[in-house]
Parts: sequence; C-alpha cells; structure tokens
Amino acid sequence: MKITCVIPAWNEARNIAKVVSGVRPYVQETIVVDDASQDETAALAGTAGAIVLRHPINRGQGAALQTGNDYALAHGADIIIHFDGDDQFLAAEIKDMAAPITDGRADIVFGSRFLGKKSNLPLTKRYLIYPLAQLFTRFLLGIRLSDPQNGFRALSRRAAETIRIDNREMAHNSEIQSKAYRSGLRIEEVPITVVYHDFGQRLSGGFKIAKDLLIHKIIK
Amino acid sequence: MLQQAIALIIILFFIFRLASQKNRKEINRSEFTLWLIFWIIAATAIIFIRRIDQLLQFLGFSLSGINFLIYLAVLVIFYLVFRLRLNLAKLDRNLTELTRQITLKDNHKP
Repeated sequence: MKITCVIPAWNEARNIAKVVSGVRPYVQETIVVDDASQDETAALAGTAGAIVLRHPINRGQGAALQTGNDYALAHGADIIIHFDGDDQFLAAEIKDMAAPITDGRADIVFGSRFLGKKSNLPLTKRYLIYPLAQLFTRFLLGIRLSDPQNGFRALSRRAAETIRIDNREMAHNSEIQSKAYRSGLRIEEVPITVVYHDFGQRLSGGFKIAKDLLIHKIIK
Repeated sequence: MLQQAIALIIILFFIFRLASQKNRKEINRSEFTLWLIFWIIAATAIIFIRRIDQLLQFLGFSLSGINFLIYLAVLVIFYLVFRLRLNLAKLDRNLTELTRQITLKDNHKP
C-alpha cells in the first residue's frame, strides 16, 4: 500500500526540514504544500526530500490539504496522512494512524488528544475552547468525536475521493469530520500525542471557524 | 415639501451618474436597468409620501411614511450586504480552485 503524507506549510522554515525528515521513514511519499510562504519553507522541504507544491498566493490550510490530496490521488496514493508542519505531531504515530485502514477496519482515521495519551495541552484549550468546539460540532454538525480540531488524520483512497475540502482555512477540520459522517465512511479514532510549542488556535479563531462553516453551508 | 425637493434632486443626481456610467460602459444594460428601476421607485415613494402615510394609517400602523421608507431601506441594505458576502465567498472559492489548478499544472511541467 502506498502511503503518502501531505504536509501543509506556511512560513515553517524553522520546523519543516525536521518534520519532513521525521515523516519520511514511515511513508512512501512526502508532499509539502507550501502556501505561498515568504521564508525558505519550500527550499528546505525540497532539500529534506519532500515533493514541494507551491501555491502562488496564500489560500489557507484547508486549501493546501486539498491540493495535496489531489496530487496524491493522481499519483496513486492508497492512504493519505495529513500531518502538520509545525512539529506538533509525532511521526512515529503515523503507523498507528494508518493501521485501521491497512487492516480494513476504517476508511478514515482521526487522531485524538483526549483518548489516553498525554499532550501538554494548555488549560484554556482543555477546559474552555475544546469543550465549546465539541458542543458546536456535536449539536450543529452531528459529529461525535472526542477531538473536534485535530489535524492528524489518515484517509483511505476512497475517503479522499469522497471528501472534498471546501473550507480553505481552519474550518476544514470540522468539515472533514462532518463529511465523513454524512458519507457513511467507517470512522475510527486513534490516541495521539500533541507537543505544544505555542498556543495555536485561540477562542477568536474558534468563532471564525463557526462563521466559515455557516457561510459554506449557505453558499453550497 | 422642501425636503421632498432636496430628496428628488439627490435622486436625479444619482440617475445622471448612472447614465454617465452606462455611457462610459462601466456598467452593463441589466445593471443599469436594475438601478434605474430602484431610483424611480425611490422617487415615486418620495412624491407620494402622503399617500404612503394614509396607506399605513389605513393598515393600522402608527409609523409615518418616511419612517417606513427608512426601515425598508435598512432591510434592503442588509439583504444586499448579505448577497455581497455570499458572492465574495463564491469568488473566494473560485480563486482557491484556480490557485490549486495552477499549482498542480506547474508541478506537472517537465
């Protein structure tokens, strides 16, 4: 089975070479989608051994992931791993993420910070932002997953062909989960570790995600 | 009476502007027609403002005709802003798709 890792990256020169080098032993192909970075992200990713796709203008993480999916599907990927470029995830956990698909139990696998493994999650996120996000996704989108905003996921070829990411920014997490449910794909959650180097998405970002999801529902 | 005259002069100014934009081909025929109808309706409402007062009283509303027109205008503006927001979102989506096609095409160059 050909496993392809798609890493969206924007101004990640500090981490991208380390991330690509870490991921490569676990996958057959590593694609970095450089979302019009102003630093050396693209060059460093290429030197580290990734195939680099470069957006001419910045379009957001969701858009970069879909570009990576399109490329991976066109080049025969059987499993696509979505992995962040900021060195928050552990590459060694890619095999745990891919296992439910290779074993034939799932079509799509979502990583979760809340299923046993320890992540150094900021308290505001653990007790305020994520519970709110979980309520929103559960009641408005019908998603019953433990981690509503996790960028570490594995998609079978079928799942990647079925789910088209329309939300170009951060709302793609909830969109992918929602589409996976609605398409009747077999879903599994796998505990993963997240290493926080900075705070990341804030409460204001959460409101923006909710707004983007609603607008995309209307313009569909 | 004076206020009605001022309002009609302002509307006339916008209609002249509209005509000159059409002459300079800055807007197409359908856009010109749409805005012309809008300004004609606005002018008619101002000319017959007393009639609107009477109609509102007949229907049992306590507000005056001019207030009614202002509320209506606010509603129309809200609707237009909403439509504009949706159009921008569609354009944004098209821009993303175009960016993606360029990116993937560039990568397939020999």
